Amino acid sequence: MIYDIRHLTTYEYASAVTFSHCALRLLPIDGPGQRLLQSRLAIDPVPAEMEERTCFFGNRVTSVTINTSHRELKIEARSSVEVNRTAPAAGRSLNSWEDTREAAFSNDNLSPNSPSHFLHPSRFVPRFRPATDYARQSFSPQRLVLQSAIELMNRIRDDFRYDPKSTVVSTPLSEAFEKRRGVCQDFAHIMIAGLRGLGLPAAYISGYLRTIPPKGKPRLEGADASHAWVSLWCGREMGWVGLDPTNAILIGDDHIILARGRDYSDISPVAGIILGSGEQEVDVKVDVIPRV
Amino acid sequence: MRAPGRKMTEQSKLRRLQDLISGYAPLPGIPDEFIGSDNIPRAHWMRFLDALTNLTPEDIENRFAAADRHIHDTGVSYRAHGEASEQAWPLSHVPLLIGEDEWRQIETGVEQRVRLLEHTLADIYGEGRLVKDGVLPAAAVTGSPDFLHALHGVKPPGGKFLQFYAVDLGRAPDGRWWVLGDRTQAPSGSGYALANRLVMSRAFPALYRDMNVERLAPFFQAFRSGLAAIATRSDPRICLLSPGPLSDTYFEQAYLARYLGFLLVEGGDLTMRDGQVHVRTIAGLKRADVLWRRIDSDFADPLELNASSRLGVPGLVEALRDGGVVVANALGSGVLETPALMSFMPSICKHVFGEALALPNIATWWCGQKRARAEVLEGFDGMAIAGAFGNSVLDLPPGQSIIGASLDAARKARLVEQITDRGIDFVGQEVVHLSTTPVWVDGRLTPRPFVLRVYAAATADGWKIMPGGFARISDQNDARAVSMGEGVQAADVWVLADKPVVVTTLLPTDDNIRIRRIMGNLPSRAADNLFWLGRYLERAEATLRLVRCLTGRLLNSDARSEAQDLAGLKGLLGASGAAPFKQALLMPPMRLTATALHSKDDFGSALSLVLDAQRAASFIRERLSLDTWLLIGSLQERLDVDVEAPLSESGAYEQADSALRVLAAISGLAQENMNRVAGWRFLEAGRRIERGINACRLARNFARAASPAEDLDILLDLVDSQISYRSRYLMGVALRPVQDIVLLDPYNPRSLAFQIERLKEHLESLPILNDDGMLEAPRRLMVKLAADVAVAEAGKLRTDMILGYEQTLMALADAIAVRYFLQGPHAVHADKMSGLA
Repeated sequence: MIYDIRHLTTYEYASAVTFSHCALRLLPIDGPGQRLLQSRLAIDPVPAEMEERTCFFGNRVTSVTINTSHRELKIEARSSVEVNRTAPAAGRSLNSWEDTREAAFSNDNLSPNSPSHFLHPSRFVPRFRPATDYARQSFSPQRLVLQSAIELMNRIRDDFRYDPKSTVVSTPLSEAFEKRRGVCQDFAHIMIAGLRGLGLPAAYISGYLRTIPPKGKPRLEGADASHAWVSLWCGREMGWVGLDPTNAILIGDDHIILARGRDYSDISPVAGIILGSGEQEVDVKVDVIPRV
Repeated sequence: MRAPGRKMTEQSKLRRLQDLISGYAPLPGIPDEFIGSDNIPRAHWMRFLDALTNLTPEDIENRFAAADRHIHDTGVSYRAHGEASEQAWPLSHVPLLIGEDEWRQIETGVEQRVRLLEHTLADIYGEGRLVKDGVLPAAAVTGSPDFLHALHGVKPPGGKFLQFYAVDLGRAPDGRWWVLGDRTQAPSGSGYALANRLVMSRAFPALYRDMNVERLAPFFQAFRSGLAAIATRSDPRICLLSPGPLSDTYFEQAYLARYLGFLLVEGGDLTMRDGQVHVRTIAGLKRADVLWRRIDSDFADPLELNASSRLGVPGLVEALRDGGVVVANALGSGVLETPALMSFMPSICKHVFGEALALPNIATWWCGQKRARAEVLEGFDGMAIAGAFGNSVLDLPPGQSIIGASLDAARKARLVEQITDRGIDFVGQEVVHLSTTPVWVDGRLTPRPFVLRVYAAATADGWKIMPGGFARISDQNDARAVSMGEGVQAADVWVLADKPVVVTTLLPTDDNIRIRRIMGNLPSRAADNLFWLGRYLERAEATLRLVRCLTGRLLNSDARSEAQDLAGLKGLLGASGAAPFKQALLMPPMRLTATALHSKDDFGSALSLVLDAQRAASFIRERLSLDTWLLIGSLQERLDVDVEAPLSESGAYEQADSALRVLAAISGLAQENMNRVAGWRFLEAGRRIERGINACRLARNFARAASPAEDLDILLDLVDSQISYRSRYLMGVALRPVQDIVLLDPYNPRSLAFQIERLKEHLESLPILNDDGMLEAPRRLMVKLAADVAVAEAGKLRTDMILGYEQTLMALADAIAVRYFLQGPHAVHADKMSGLA
């Protein structure tokens, strides 16, 4: 399946901004089961400097400097990605979660794919015992790691309510956990906290999910959304497996990977500093259009 | 003839020496610096005590007192973590003595260790060989909050990651020195070591000379040259990047910056442009070549590291990637401080250098490894359990360890479960009791546990070890760790050479001193704070003058004047924010007075303004004389009394009057003791602008066309011009001459015209950014205002004209801020980001 993706971010400032320096993570990469066909970034006002690099985790980061005075900043990312994933065979995982944990602890490489980077607390996923205790119910002694994780994912889907009004990006996971509600980012962070609490390596994946409009209704422009899910390391043989706790499904051909990190803070789509004062409004529009 | 008196002294000296030795009892089983394991006092300590007992007990006490006074007078201070107020530096009066032979062993061990750490750090952020070779588990590295992925693969200019290193040492039960911990992030204490040395060498000059104490200055000299050598420019600008005056060791940071000739900056002073870092100064952006940081790495760049940091420089990591700046130590170097790493140091040393550690470190087992975990769980009761990465164990504060045997069954079970789940988070360590050194308590020597911190600096000829150090001494006999706080003392460390030492100081010889009169460009932030310090002090003065005038009139009041003139004074107190605006006129006069003097809720009260001045001053303390700082403090103490406390008219008058005398002393210091460089000009400009505004405001209220004589009289009081007026004009007060003397007379230092002349001088001597010959905004305003006031005529001044001058002065203050105090950047938080499904 080939997708055409448009991700438009608009900032409106209450007073003029004279200088802006941003790091953008809006362009996807080739990855497991997906191939990048093309991508481009359009920014208004036109930046004085623009430089792309690859961050430690392999994501594309565009560093942008704008030094013309502006009240509005538009960042439009367009990309086309071909997705073709083979579903992970849950049966192939013969590792118990305890063995997986020991293998992760004794891992001997520091490359970006190594589970060692995803074992420890991170900025948005601190140590949080209640999430560990919640996860433990699915991880009985010697149970297979992927089987246990799938159960945990299903329980999150059942126990938590999807509610875009209940949290914002900066809401701590403890709050979303106690309220038992949130959005994809919260569910992913909670699941990661539970898995890491048990000593299992878990990564945060940002991306897009193809949405299918209700029957008989047209697809609404900009109505799609950024999405986020979890990737769990299941041992040397099986490697990383994507789990989407928001929808209780394994990652398939409807998921497009944008970036990977320890949590949201590693891969936030737009981060930056501005010279200016006053309020700002942000608006994000996403379209994920499958080619027919 | 015999000399009986002398004989007596010799005898009493011997007796005192005997007392000191025999009364000294080391703790059982704990090594001690003074009494060796053979139970014999060490020779160099005997030399020291022998020389010390040459002084009479009174003389010794006097010298100790002199040392304490010196600490107080020079303001050596620190802030116990989490506390608001600073404390005087607690210096032990007995230095820690180390003989030359033993010091050479320490030196060798520290040099080997820092070379090994440098190698390990370069490997962690580079090839990762140690991990691939199985010497260092990956998870023992990635668990450190200071393993910064953004810095992976970034090679520091000059190739070295570490430039300054500190290590904490103690004496092991077998008498050897061992390593308790490494400091690679931003080691503190070397400035205090310098301060300790200065105090001790002044208190005991002869003793210090005769003991052949090795000097510290060459070490710092080598460190400074080493930093300068990494920069690409020949005369690099080296900055000490401080977290600011609220940090625990701000005194030390300012002290080191001054001693080493570095520019003391905060993140807000710096900006990244085109891959380089610049200091914002009043003369525009000036390149910063080297940043010696005292902020933690994670806070150094809100763009790529911790987004919530307000201490760093956005884009710093990008500049590092471009090689445009040197940061010492390299960002991410704190990864070496974790207890987890300790357990691998012996094997890394064998693997890399093919030799054993010259200084062993405390035996440590990282529980991420199956076998080590089993050993820790087995020997649980006899071990100290600590967070592997400085994280907390059970509910202890991060960094503290807990002895297995001290736990009850429930807590033990909980900890064992945690270690079983996530062994990677914990280490077990052998339990260490710190060795002891003598301190002076009530005229006797007593053994107390201590930690010795030793420093190393990277130089062009390899690592140099500071011959001396910083000792922290606990008052708890069974201490396992010591950090500065309640009951803890610091001590100077004397390394004793066998021969007299060559004396060098950081002062260069006479011929190679380059004469300079101005120290570089003034950072914008410092200029900003100086400007506001001047403004707040002047505003405080204006409020105090109103209070003094009001209470003075109340003291000599008759019914008529109370009804009329006081309404004007009260209204002005309300208008200036010294009391609630709407209620000022209705408040009983003494209630109003107390509020204007002591209220914390009214922004224009004398106390609030002095607190504002104190805050502004705290950001630029290193630029103010100690006397100025102390005077501002005494002003604050004087005014900080309960606003509800009963206050008499004469009492209030006296308070205002004495506070005004302190303010006069502060401005006297600025006039007499500050160099006439840009900083002074901003302080002065702030004062002049406020005084000008105040003169206009007072004239508008008390020198109108219809103002009665009493008002004119009050006005002369408020602007302190009664005597000038009386000497010039023999008749009584009249509008025209009063207007002239208050506003237009350029010879009266309180007049508007005088302030404008001074402001003009100040602005003309500040640097210009324009190269097109056009006037910059502040000067444009200035030129017109000066001309307007110069040609104005008393008697023809209307209130609206005076208001115009006042508004121009306010606009001038804004224009100065825009031109010289560049606003800092604001970090964007994409908090309202919507569209996440």
